[in-house]
Amino acid sequence: MLIASADPLAFNLLPFITTIVVFTIVMGALSIYVWPKIQKGLDERNEKILHEIASAEAARVAASAKQKEFEQKLSEALEQSAVMIREAKAEAVRLGEEIRAKNEAELTARARRAGEEIENARRTAVAELESHAATLAISIAGRILQREINPSDQKRMVEESLAGMSSKRN
Amino acid sequence: MSVLSSSMILASGDDPVAHIVDKAIFDSPVMLSMVTLMVCAGVVFYLLLRAARSISTGPESMGNKRYIPTGSFASVVEVIIVYLRDEMLVPVMGKRLTKRYLSFLLSMFFFILALNIVGLVPFVDIQDAIYGLMGKKFDLKEHQTAAVFGGAATASISVTGGLALVAFIVIQAQGFRELGIKGWLEHLCGGHELVHGSIFLWLVIPIIFVVEFFGLFVKPAALAIRLFANMVAGHTLLITVTMFGAMAMKAGLGTLAVGAITLVSGIGAILITFLEVFVALLQAFIFMFLTAVFISLMSHEEEAGQEDPHGSQPQATHATH
Repeated sequence: MLIASADPLAFNLLPFITTIVVFTIVMGALSIYVWPKIQKGLDERNEKILHEIASAEAARVAASAKQKEFEQKLSEALEQSAVMIREAKAEAVRLGEEIRAKNEAELTARARRAGEEIENARRTAVAELESHAATLAISIAGRILQREINPSDQKRMVEESLAGMSSKRN
Repeated sequence: MSVLSSSMILASGDDPVAHIVDKAIFDSPVMLSMVTLMVCAGVVFYLLLRAARSISTGPESMGNKRYIPTGSFASVVEVIIVYLRDEMLVPVMGKRLTKRYLSFLLSMFFFILALNIVGLVPFVDIQDAIYGLMGKKFDLKEHQTAAVFGGAATASISVTGGLALVAFIVIQAQGFRELGIKGWLEHLCGGHELVHGSIFLWLVIPIIFVVEFFGLFVKPAALAIRLFANMVAGHTLLITVTMFGAMAMKAGLGTLAVGAITLVSGIGAILITFLEVFVALLQAFIFMFLTAVFISLMSHEEEAGQEDPHGSQPQATHATH
């Protein structure tokens, strides 16, 4: 069974004074050796983190500016390359046209020269053929006439024949 | 812890309050609470010094790791300090007063917390049991103990009264420092506006003066009694519950019944111990917080709580706002 107990509210001066003295001492010791260290550590960490956040923010802003600059340069480069491609295409077209025209002119000239050479060859061949035919005809005519045809007659007859052929051809 | 306490108490008698009251060590004038106070002061200083070393910034050779506290105890201490400072004290006292009284208030909080927690551990019962096992018997008078350490120091009105007196001195010192003698007297008479106000209002000044004057002493007294009463009540409840087994045995119940009652009371004691740990923390906080409130009341009215409406400077470590 519970029995009557001592008075828990009984006041004792010695623990009272001890409490004040011990608390004052421990508070003083803590105020000198503990709380400043903790406060300093917390403040330094706080400053470090705030500094890091500020640095990260500055780096983000700088990176953003760089990105904008890069995008602008990229845009300019794309534009410039488009212009260059357009100019290159135009140049290629112009060069192609020029080469084609040059080739056509050359071909035309070559064709013309070939035609002239053919015409010259034909004329030479015709002249040779006519000369040979006249010689042959005179030879045949001489045999038929049974007389000698001297060179001066032969030359005259050839020239007459050629003149006749020329007049006919014309 | 509570089961151990229970078995100790079974052998120690059947008066729960006698188990709580402060006792003299043998026949010396030294009370158990005095030794406990000194030991707790040493332990608090040692543990907080270790925590401070861990929390403080390390050498540069550690790189960024020098900013990180090592050890879970230091982290817990840091969380408590930062929470109390930024969430409790700065909103009430403002930054300037918080900076001025932070050391005092934190010292008070951790000191009372240590005393409360030590009071939950049955050091006295353990020492009594050791003496019993060793076969040592002492001729002790009432309110004497053979134990040299332990007990709930904050369950003594002498101890809580001492702490309250320190709080009273600091509160009044703040009043004189901030308000001056004239301002302090005006504060006791209801404040500057009332004293310099209408002559008809002067009629209430004597009443206010009496109330405020007694309030000067009632406030710290309330601090002392609140802490003392909570600790006494908690420990009495805890010890009473653990004594159920002994009471059943004395009542002559059977072994089975005594065993069952002891088991249930043991479980109950464990649960109450958890509650008491919370109460220990809460009461340390309340003592510290109300002291901070009373200090802030003794400063210029426009300062307290209005210095920073959000309560704190930007805290990167604990961005709780």
